Amino acid sequence: MDRRSLHLLLILAMLAIVLVVHLFFGFHAADLPNLIAALQRFEAQSYEEAVLLFQRLPRTLIAIYAGGIAAASGFVLQSLVRNPLASPATLGVNSGAALFLVASALLFGASAELQGIAALAGALAGFLSSLAVARLAGRRNDPRGLSLILSGALVSMLFTGMTNALLLSDPARRAEFLSWVTGNINHVYIDRLAMFWWIGALSVAILLLFARPLTLILLGADKAASTGVNVPLVSRFAIGAAVLGSGSAVAVCGPIGFVGLVVPHIVRPFMGNNLVHALPASLIVGAIVGLAADLIAREAFYPYVVNTGLVTDLIGGIVFIVIVKRFYLSPGSREAS
Amino acid sequence: MLETRHVSAAYGPLNVLSDVSVRFSKGRLTAIVGPNGCGKSSLLKAIMGFLPISAGDILLEGVPLHGISRKALARRIAYLPQDCFCPDYMTLGELIELAGYSRYSLTGGPSAQDRDLFKQVLETVGLSDRAGFPVNKLSGGQRQRAWIAMVLAQDTDVILMDEPVNHLDMKYQFAVLELVRELIETHGKTVIAVLHDLNLTTAFADEVVLMQSGRCITAGPVADTVTSDNIEQVFGLRTQIFPRDGRLVCFPERIGHASVA
Repeated sequence: MDRRSLHLLLILAMLAIVLVVHLFFGFHAADLPNLIAALQRFEAQSYEEAVLLFQRLPRTLIAIYAGGIAAASGFVLQSLVRNPLASPATLGVNSGAALFLVASALLFGASAELQGIAALAGALAGFLSSLAVARLAGRRNDPRGLSLILSGALVSMLFTGMTNALLLSDPARRAEFLSWVTGNINHVYIDRLAMFWWIGALSVAILLLFARPLTLILLGADKAASTGVNVPLVSRFAIGAAVLGSGSAVAVCGPIGFVGLVVPHIVRPFMGNNLVHALPASLIVGAIVGLAADLIAREAFYPYVVNTGLVTDLIGGIVFIVIVKRFYLSPGSREAS
Repeated sequence: MLETRHVSAAYGPLNVLSDVSVRFSKGRLTAIVGPNGCGKSSLLKAIMGFLPISAGDILLEGVPLHGISRKALARRIAYLPQDCFCPDYMTLGELIELAGYSRYSLTGGPSAQDRDLFKQVLETVGLSDRAGFPVNKLSGGQRQRAWIAMVLAQDTDVILMDEPVNHLDMKYQFAVLELVRELIETHGKTVIAVLHDLNLTTAFADEVVLMQSGRCITAGPVADTVTSDNIEQVFGLRTQIFPRDGRLVCFPERIGHASVA
């Protein structure tokens, strides 16, 4: 077995462990056989079993979905815009989705389904706004792509400000979104996951299908084209899939920041830059990070439960600084890759 | 084999190719030579379809390349850009496997036949023991051979190389061009390479295309094209050219600078 297959097996084993801990942490050991039986027949006969099936399990699924999609999107965005700081959170995707969703609900009274569509439109709008601002700033003269990240930060601030203004203007309904808007993995959002999971699944399928041509694009557009890749087509499809997938995750549980930024940097040293191996690994590690962050959010301050988005933002903020130092500020820092 | 007929192309208002008509012979190394900015790289880019042509035709075995799909072109012509970029952590084996992309289905990967080819390719370039090695950790000469291996793994008859020996020291320049000769002589490839050094050109190329200001000044066998008059016309530099050990040596005359003591 080669080294990369072994790494993939190892992280799958880690996912299994984190998954079990996430589901069963805090229950009495004596209850475990009953809880497992309840999971198998999918029916609750006690309070603990109800907690497991209707609180823990939904959280688990949402954490896996949000973490996995954000990480895969982050890897693809970092590859395509050739920037180690690219991610759904730093390119305006998450804040765009959040703004459009809140606006559709508060201004137009949209149903949950329509809110989801608004989030997808917002994700695209956020990404395109970041690109447009970067172009105005003259991205062509900036080989390291820092202006794109600054534009993303600018767009995110603007959109987040507008979202907050909308929430403040509607005291009657703001409670409904106040927690969601900071990224909240909560069992009540399982209905939204049931509504939108297929968008993420479709995005991931497209990204996995394009893993090889996307890796070739990493070698440069001309090199990729000379080996047979239709670069504009693959880039557009992949960016569309990454952005819409992230939008669907925001529609489910709000913007869970920084997973998409951090996970590719964890994955690369073990799985390399070939997306054929690195993309499945990103999905799995993203799910692990999502579950772990949610576990911290749920258990670290017991009996209080904090928003998972706050935990990922805290960890992600620190990692963001480390990456900036490593890629941009250290002497002889490397080209973005 | 490969032929350009009255090809013109421009980057915006700047004409980079004007009425270029060249026939590249099969199974030969043709060097494209000329001063900086004369359109050498642009000619390769026009053949690859990266630079849209405004007039003329490019034909491969009599068939126009215009409108051919990227995948179909990738099965006929491989291209080595001037500056190759490899992301960190990517191994030589992965790089070579990617080269066969045009032969894979959307969900499939390399066949057993492809894997045999990849093995042979690594042997040809002398890097059989480096397949699991990250490309960016190879030495300069090995790295250039890695990129040539990728081009070979594409398994095409025609290979275009844009300054393949740039950034290499003299020893590696010779090693890489000797490898290119081997591709031609034992693997029957047709290679078209942009070269800067006239002495490397006369030592390794079969034919030469001399370019200046986007035009083809002359093209043909080395002995007919690399002449004092042609070189002076193209480079504006008086050059003595004399035979030595069966090949031509180019010796530019001094242009008024201090001589070596």
